[in-house]
Amino acid sequence: MEEKILKIKEELISKLSSVDKEALVLNLKGEYVGKKSEIQDLLVSLKDMSVEDKRKYGSLINNTKKELEELINKKLEEIENNINISFDDTLDYEINNGSLHPVTIVAKEVTDILKRMGFTIVSGPEMESEYYNFEALNIPKDHPARDMQDTYYLDNGMLLRTQTSDNQIHAMEKYGAPLRICAPGRTFRNEDVDASHENTFFQLEGMVIDKDISIENLMYVMKCVLREVFHKEVEVRLRPGFFPFTEPSYELDCSCLICGGKGCPTCKNSGWIELIPGGMVHPNVLRAGGIDPEVYNGFAFGIGLTRLAMMKYKISDIRVLNSGDIRYLKNFDMK
Amino acid sequence: MLISCNKLKSYIKNSDNIDWLNIWKTFTIRTAEVEDVREVGNTFDGVVVAEIKECEEHPDSDHMHILKVDIGEDDLIQVVCGAPNVRVGLKTAYVKVGGHIDGMEISARPLRGVMSNGMCCSGRELSISDNHEGILELPDEWNNGEDIKKLLPIEDIIVEIDNKSLTNRPDLWGHFGIAREICAITNHELISLQVLDIENNKEDLDIVIKNSELCYRYCGLKIDNITNNKTPLDMQIFLYYVGMRSISLLVDLTNYLMLELGQPMHAFDSRVVKNIEVGLANEGDIYTTLDGVERHLSNDILMIKNGNEYFGIAGIMGGITSEILPDTTGVFLESATFNAGVIRRGAVKLGLRTEASARYEKSLDPNMTDLAIKRLAYLLKKENPEMKIASNLTDIYPKKLEEGHIVLDKRTLNVYMGREMEDEVVAGILEALGFKVQVKDDAYNVVVPTFRATKDIKIKEDLIEEIARIYGLERLEPKALKLDLISNELEDVFNQEIDAKELLAKRFDMHEVHSYIWYDSALLKRIGIEKDNVRLLGKDANNILRDNLSLSLLNIVEENFKSYSNFKIFEIGTIIKNNQNVRVLSIINAGEEKNLENMYNEIKGVVKYLFKVLKNKNVKYTDNVNEDSYFDKNLGKIINVDNKRLGEINVISKSVTSKLAKKKMIVCADILFDSYVEIEKEEKLAKEVSKYPTVSLDYTISLNDIKYQDLKDILEEFRSNLIKEYRLMGVYENKYTIRYILGSDTKTLEQKDIETFKNRFMEHLDKHNLGILV
Repeated sequence: MEEKILKIKEELISKLSSVDKEALVLNLKGEYVGKKSEIQDLLVSLKDMSVEDKRKYGSLINNTKKELEELINKKLEEIENNINISFDDTLDYEINNGSLHPVTIVAKEVTDILKRMGFTIVSGPEMESEYYNFEALNIPKDHPARDMQDTYYLDNGMLLRTQTSDNQIHAMEKYGAPLRICAPGRTFRNEDVDASHENTFFQLEGMVIDKDISIENLMYVMKCVLREVFHKEVEVRLRPGFFPFTEPSYELDCSCLICGGKGCPTCKNSGWIELIPGGMVHPNVLRAGGIDPEVYNGFAFGIGLTRLAMMKYKISDIRVLNSGDIRYLKNFDMK
Repeated sequence: MLISCNKLKSYIKNSDNIDWLNIWKTFTIRTAEVEDVREVGNTFDGVVVAEIKECEEHPDSDHMHILKVDIGEDDLIQVVCGAPNVRVGLKTAYVKVGGHIDGMEISARPLRGVMSNGMCCSGRELSISDNHEGILELPDEWNNGEDIKKLLPIEDIIVEIDNKSLTNRPDLWGHFGIAREICAITNHELISLQVLDIENNKEDLDIVIKNSELCYRYCGLKIDNITNNKTPLDMQIFLYYVGMRSISLLVDLTNYLMLELGQPMHAFDSRVVKNIEVGLANEGDIYTTLDGVERHLSNDILMIKNGNEYFGIAGIMGGITSEILPDTTGVFLESATFNAGVIRRGAVKLGLRTEASARYEKSLDPNMTDLAIKRLAYLLKKENPEMKIASNLTDIYPKKLEEGHIVLDKRTLNVYMGREMEDEVVAGILEALGFKVQVKDDAYNVVVPTFRATKDIKIKEDLIEEIARIYGLERLEPKALKLDLISNELEDVFNQEIDAKELLAKRFDMHEVHSYIWYDSALLKRIGIEKDNVRLLGKDANNILRDNLSLSLLNIVEENFKSYSNFKIFEIGTIIKNNQNVRVLSIINAGEEKNLENMYNEIKGVVKYLFKVLKNKNVKYTDNVNEDSYFDKNLGKIINVDNKRLGEINVISKSVTSKLAKKKMIVCADILFDSYVEIEKEEKLAKEVSKYPTVSLDYTISLNDIKYQDLKDILEEFRSNLIKEYRLMGVYENKYTIRYILGSDTKTLEQKDIETFKNRFMEHLDKHNLGILV
């Protein structure tokens, strides 16, 4: 008898383990604990048993039936809580993403670090007067930069600014000294367009006016900017340069990011890449901005954002930047 | 500009102590960028002086000769040579058997049956000149068999310096100036140039400067009895190495002086010189320059005139009539200084930039002209001991340029340098560069030599630059700014641009593009749009500045239609409207014609979302009757925020779109971004959430003659304090389903409250002849 009961139980356990549909479990329920089930037959047969057997098997049969019911209910509950996977859970699902222009991304990175150093971001006009673009920046009338060849002059007497340095004057006039500004923006040069030349490109002007500013302070800020953009320490060096609006003027080179300074075609085997022109603000520029050069001094620099973006993303043809070609631009994610 | 290190060495005492290959890395960070350093003259060896002793015609060739040459050995050597200038007695360059030319070993081999041992060579074969007309002709006094590398400056280091980085250094446009700089960098001594003293005991030349503000100085000198017009070989090699062709001694010497001192010179055949006048050209005259090209002159071009005829374009190029000829024995030397601007503008105007004009553009030192003439005379006399000075060194110099004086206070210098500078160091640097320094307690009194005073060194900051670069920029270290931690002004344009751009790109998968500030003329023409706005001068195409950003993006839209049937782009850019810069955000939704409704609604939704999320403002659209034919006249909307016009939404008209792509539609929004930036973001206060449940009621209303906007006006009129909100749930044909959310902050709504609402709402609709679909 015990064997028989044990066998029923084992049979059910084994059958339950191989079914996963509710209906099949319900069938098993009928079969094993229903009115016509073996266990029910055993229960019915109890009444014909001897008192001794009744005592011996009564509770066993009853308990076993309860156990069987529990097993079945547990299985039913399991099935009910199971998510019915009726789909292919390995399918790909892509959410379309938009893109920011690479120059925008670089501009944001540069302004972010400058903001952390207390720079205000200003935005000047693209159509500018000769005064702000040249005169106030100590660029005399017969300077080559003022030639038709290089500058887009307009029929209303204005011009398209050739540099973001016009912001230096605007900012000094607006805020006076001390001053810490940066100004990203579009600039224009009358130039034939090819893979490495554009007539429309982006720069970022930076300027600090305060008391007792040194050349070493200028180096510090430029180095911080490069570290932020390239996400690593870059070696920098200063070289003498010449710009009318700074004195002394410098070219800041950074160690070539392609070859690490060993020398390669990109850096013309010098190991250095010319990146940021800058210098100490010329006293005439301070005067034009209404600031006394005997009290204040400062530095200014101009970063070619377009050039920086090309270096950072290894863009070989400058023309794609103004092409609006989504096939190309969509690759720029939004960090 | 190419620089020969051999030449530099000749101006520097103990120049062998300088590492001439590696000094240029330092030069780059001290003075100017060096682009290339290369060794020359190392491509051959085993080349010696050989004298032709015998010369016979080759029996089997119409041009070759069989030579017997003496190279200082016991036996003569037989060489076959094809050069036309072979002759007995000629000393030439000969490569011995086993020697090399261009890496190739020279052997003994038969040429048309005659044994040739080694080879006689031309200048070009040795890469020391471009002359290949014959074999080299060496001086008779040279010893046979001597290595020619010991006799000629063949092994050299040629350095290329970036011209751009010399823009502000007129003194560095000649070898002598570079040598001075090297001396300052390496602490060496400069050797003065040897010159010929000219006694002014003859007659002055007739020279007149008409415009003394354009020609600062003009020196002239006549020299006669010049019989040798052959340039010595070492000078030929030098000229060849630095990129100049050797022509004749007189021409070569003027070039040589330009390369040595940076002073352009001119040699005229003195037979044609009558009287010299420097003055402006007549407008419209035509003049033929030395290169045989006819030049159209204008009245702002400075000319050299001779006997009322044009003689040369001042500072740019001489004329064909005054050329040095093979029979020239008398010369008129010109050494002058012109205004930098007039030369530069003239060169640009004529499209004729020469070595001379490139130097004059830099503002040359007028005090160099007489030195250059005396130096040229000295060099000429070495080749023509019999020459005669035929005139006074005539010097027209209306306003002498004097040395400059600058006081440099030590405090400023130390601030800029970020350190205390020692007096000896400062004075040492400046003196090495040619300045005179007087050290005072708190300042330096500095005298600026005229070769630095023409434009380069004017103020104390210029002196700081000199001191810093020679001191060594690599000795400066990046140092953090120590400034007051003040709260700076906030200008928010850039930040708001970034916020808007990120929202459009991240939330609405749009792509940011950049474009040009002018319209694409070809495109405008093709789609039949005429525009008038501010124009670029001197351009016939792409010369009209844009006054509508979306319109200027149409060529980008057209290009992208080639790859995508629908896409969304945006740009924040400047347009020019009423002569003003206006910053605009343009959003473009381009796609298939059949999806117009979705595209149109999406743009409206995006604009609304932009203002809601970034400004907490509601957008109201009103109809816009657009006059511009390139926009569809029925679908224009004005974007209103706080009752202010902030921009518009338009659909590009079908007639335009059909020219860009088939069955496509372009919807665009143009938001005035400057006005957008000015809108202050509305701060919303916290709002209690009702504890009581809400009830939602859906009404489907069919509209016959009116649009949703009209229905909305009607719904707006209906007021009830139970309304939490209502919104459009969907549209099917002309049936609009509106959902009302009702609730109270004080109680749970009862059935009778809802019934009252329903009845009142039905009445309101009835009043406007609208019915509910049940």
